Amino acid sequence: MGTGGLLERLSAIGPAAQASVPGVYAWGVTVAPMVWAQGAPVLAKGAAIVALAMLAAGVAGEPRLAGRARTASLWGFVVACAVSWCAAPAGLSPLRMDAPRGLAGVVGWALFAFASAAPAVRRSDDVEPVADGSEFGPRSPASDGTYVVGAALSASMLQTIGWRIAGAERALLVRFVALAAGLAVIGAAAEIALQRHVPRAMPSSARRMRRALAALVALAILALAGLLNVALD
Amino acid sequence: MKLVDVLAIALVIAAVGAFVAGEVAIARADDLRAVYWLAVGVVSLRAAVQVARPGARS
Repeated sequence: MGTGGLLERLSAIGPAAQASVPGVYAWGVTVAPMVWAQGAPVLAKGAAIVALAMLAAGVAGEPRLAGRARTASLWGFVVACAVSWCAAPAGLSPLRMDAPRGLAGVVGWALFAFASAAPAVRRSDDVEPVADGSEFGPRSPASDGTYVVGAALSASMLQTIGWRIAGAERALLVRFVALAAGLAVIGAAAEIALQRHVPRAMPSSARRMRRALAALVALAILALAGLLNVALD
Repeated sequence: MKLVDVLAIALVIAAVGAFVAGEVAIARADDLRAVYWLAVGVVSLRAAVQVARPGARS
């Protein structure tokens, strides 16, 4: 089986399988060289192996468990990588992580975040017409690309912050927060883009606003608290 | 595109800005400010998805 055939079979399994390819790449660039360097503790090596195992478990479990396997695999992989970095924090210091490798790591994790959050690419013969006769799934309108590109650019921008921090623990924290925030942004943007294709009746704007009321009130309280803090300073 | 769709996109953009402010605060070891901005980012994203979601019943 050639590389193309293997990738086609992986993509046919689902999103977790598609995400496993950039996941292995990100792991190979940012985790493996660090934990198999001299002096790295056994915990870091074990967590790195668990991270790969989580990716494999996601691929194996997705046909039966679908979304649950995907979610467990995604966050299991990210947490295991974080444990590996925490166990060997010196590997992320500027002395050990040069700029080209850092850039390759950013690209790898951005690709992984995109592949994890985006829907699986389906083959053209999988298309099923919906009730109104239109096709839902494999072909995205151009505006979907705007959502995806915007979210990917935002996630990449988050990765540009904090590369000159001297302390390894603080640098690690910034990287982890940037990764989690990037995943959240790409996930939210993908969900918003996909909701436009859901073949269900769209409720009124007032109903949508009512449903988001709790989150909007919480946001208003946070904004008010921030403004008060600025005023009191 | 309805006004609520524009609001959803604006909330995502606000969330990205809040995450950037949070990361900068973490990098400067200003942890209280970082927690505040990260909370603003998470709540903004949540609100954006809630506003955009059509819902199963209507």
